[in-house]
Amino acid sequence: MAEAAGALDGVTVVDLTAHVAGPYATKLLADLGARVVKIERPGGDPARALGPWLDDEPGPDRGGAWQFLNTNKESIVLDLKTAGGRGALERLLPRASLVVVGHAPAVAERLGTAPDALRAVADVNVLSITNFGWSGPYRDYALSETALYAMGGEMFSHGTADREPLKLGGTVSLLQCGAMAAIAALGAVHAGEVHGIAQRVDVSLFDVQLNSVDRRSSTILAWRFSGRVNERPAAAGPSTAGGLAGVFPCADGYVELTASAGPYWRRFAEMIGRPDFLEPPWTDPAWLATPEARAEIDLALVPWLLERTRAQVWEAARECHAILAPLFTAADLYADPVFRERGLWERVEHETLGAFPMLGRPYLLGETPWAIRRAAPRLGQDTDAILAELGYDRAARDELRRTGAAA
Amino acid sequence: MSGFLPLEGVRVCDFACVWAGQSATMYLADLGADCIRVENPHVWNPATRAAAPVLPAALAARLPAWMGGHPGGDPGSRPWNNSPAFIHVVRNKRSFTVDSRRPEGLAIVKRLIAISDVLAENLARGTLEKLGLDDDAIRAARPDIVILHMPAYGRTGAYVEGRGYGAHIDGVAGATVLRGYRDSAPETNVQTFTGDFFVGMHGAVAMLAALRHRRRTGRGQTIELAQAECSASMFPQAALDAAWNGRAAHTLGNRSDQGFAPNGVFAARGEERWLALSCRSDAEWAALVEHMGRPAWALDPAYAAVAGRLAAEDRIEAELAAWIAARDRDELFRDLQAAGVTAGPVLSARDAAEDPHARQSPVWRRLEATEDYPAAEFPAPSFTFSRSDVTLRTPPALLGEHNDYVYRELLGLDDEECARLEAAGHIATTYGPEVLGR
Repeated sequence: MAEAAGALDGVTVVDLTAHVAGPYATKLLADLGARVVKIERPGGDPARALGPWLDDEPGPDRGGAWQFLNTNKESIVLDLKTAGGRGALERLLPRASLVVVGHAPAVAERLGTAPDALRAVADVNVLSITNFGWSGPYRDYALSETALYAMGGEMFSHGTADREPLKLGGTVSLLQCGAMAAIAALGAVHAGEVHGIAQRVDVSLFDVQLNSVDRRSSTILAWRFSGRVNERPAAAGPSTAGGLAGVFPCADGYVELTASAGPYWRRFAEMIGRPDFLEPPWTDPAWLATPEARAEIDLALVPWLLERTRAQVWEAARECHAILAPLFTAADLYADPVFRERGLWERVEHETLGAFPMLGRPYLLGETPWAIRRAAPRLGQDTDAILAELGYDRAARDELRRTGAAA
Repeated sequence: MSGFLPLEGVRVCDFACVWAGQSATMYLADLGADCIRVENPHVWNPATRAAAPVLPAALAARLPAWMGGHPGGDPGSRPWNNSPAFIHVVRNKRSFTVDSRRPEGLAIVKRLIAISDVLAENLARGTLEKLGLDDDAIRAARPDIVILHMPAYGRTGAYVEGRGYGAHIDGVAGATVLRGYRDSAPETNVQTFTGDFFVGMHGAVAMLAALRHRRRTGRGQTIELAQAECSASMFPQAALDAAWNGRAAHTLGNRSDQGFAPNGVFAARGEERWLALSCRSDAEWAALVEHMGRPAWALDPAYAAVAGRLAAEDRIEAELAAWIAARDRDELFRDLQAAGVTAGPVLSARDAAEDPHARQSPVWRRLEATEDYPAAEFPAPSFTFSRSDVTLRTPPALLGEHNDYVYRELLGLDDEECARLEAAGHIATTYGPEVLGR
């Protein structure tokens, strides 16, 4: 746990987000050194109820999603429906470089946390993260990871033609939206520091997915350009159309391989020790696409792969710069000695849970280290300290707690 | 809305390729950076401007739509200026050409670096070094520069020589085994490039953070973003289940990773009309049961709580599938949402382009026709700023479109020098004969 100042040292974020997308945006800022004050509703962020659990034992601080998404944050519990809770929020706002709000439009309008309402209290940057924006027919609609990828993302072409479209794993679409929101947040911070202005910034999950580079922007543009709709492929499995590509089994799992015509094909032939694959008819991309070519490739490739482990195959690929990688499970990723040596995994010290491993940095900044300085906060862990900082004396703090405005 | 661009005055020397790198610098361009693509007209960078420099319509038609769907189905003689796969990641940028492999070209690049604030790259490892542009050489040209490297697996460790595109890096990051049908092996998975997008956004976040530090301290720094490591953050739940409980997660098909039940994708009436549905709480399940008219099968008291529904997922999904199959997708979508149930149509590219909500969102902006593409709605940034002009400000940069800007305005070359560099093949708006095979 490094002590050097992060790149966002001095940035203060008031965080009115919960669940996955918003908290990931503010986590990215917190891990780079911003001070993030997370306002939790009474009872806490619903992400505290999400597994997996530390040692398979549920608990409000023991969730993997919770711990990952809230590193380096402070927690203050405020009931924004009470005058006392609202008052504390209003004292916090002028101290913020940025407020991030994840409330749905109808909820925000009820709670007084819509961007313009917050900006009426203090001239601060307010970033709003919503499902579908603040206007339009879907404004008040709900989303899940699955519905989000279905509507915004490229689910339609994921899977095979004879079966239903498929979602991705985990909560990746929500996390992508959080990362995009972090870009917008930093844009606001820059504009604020460069121009001395504060403003409202809006991001919707649907819009982020519609512009997802994972083929979605491309498929929509392709439709506009050519009238072609990107569809699920008819057949599952590797293909040789446009060069060999796909997932193949090996001795202890699977590898993903691409050997399209040109240098990649040459490196592939070199990797499996088949220099004859560099001679005609193999130099003709049209031959590669034939079933006969595919049969010959399988005859050479499948035994070669099945005699080798993923580690052996990947090593051979690296030696030739062939485009190939093993399919890792999360357990492989955790056990992998190379990623361990590079420091992908961190150890977090938690006040009550002890030490546990945590997925580490997405990037290394040479001068301003990414660092986990503190585990995700316990519910209301910082309520008292923050209220004191806001000028509430002991009696006033007790009163806020007694009335349920704070906890 | 006035100027107030967040990155006003920031210049990016952009060596990025494919999607991950090009999207990272695009976000900086969106926020107002003067992002200048460094393009070599004598080298074809795979999967960066199009599928191939020479792309007959018949070949484009055999490629998947996202890659081959050029305007009117015909890429024409400059496929690099109208690829649906890549044109959208060069919005708000500028493009200049130079053969950086030759000393005079390298000298030009160094002059651009000297007036740049950021250098970003995700080329195959060693490419910049081969050009003579290792970090020391870059810093010699511009001591306080921010450098972003995006290697596949890191700049140290046993995997440094690993090569891959998004699909391969996704594999190592654990993405591929987490998607697919529950009853099928990973070898039936189609390629996705989920990490490209994720990693590109993180590259932008890291550069934005480093630029802030630089503005406050005058100090640049080097950022190393190993794409596989960054992509691992797409699946923190699976990663921590492995680290904490020794479990190796596998695909759940369309079932939920968050304990929602039911959670799936079902065929509605008609061809290719799919509806995604999630009951994110017991209340959503109760609302669904009400909306269905309280059918007997759904009234099993065990289903009132999520544990009971998880135990009977097969049956509940079969009943739901039958109920949804007889109904219209879009009506069901709106009715279920109105009833408080989370649902969404699986929008094809056509559906998305025509979706009534998307049509009035700020994510698309119409651009006029050019020689290379027709008038169309192009992707604009996914965020809006109330006081900064953050939008699709300038159309996708065509190859060499801004040679005059870079060579004359920025570097101050005169007519004679420009003529000489053009004759020498540095200044160009098309690729050289060795690339085009002519």
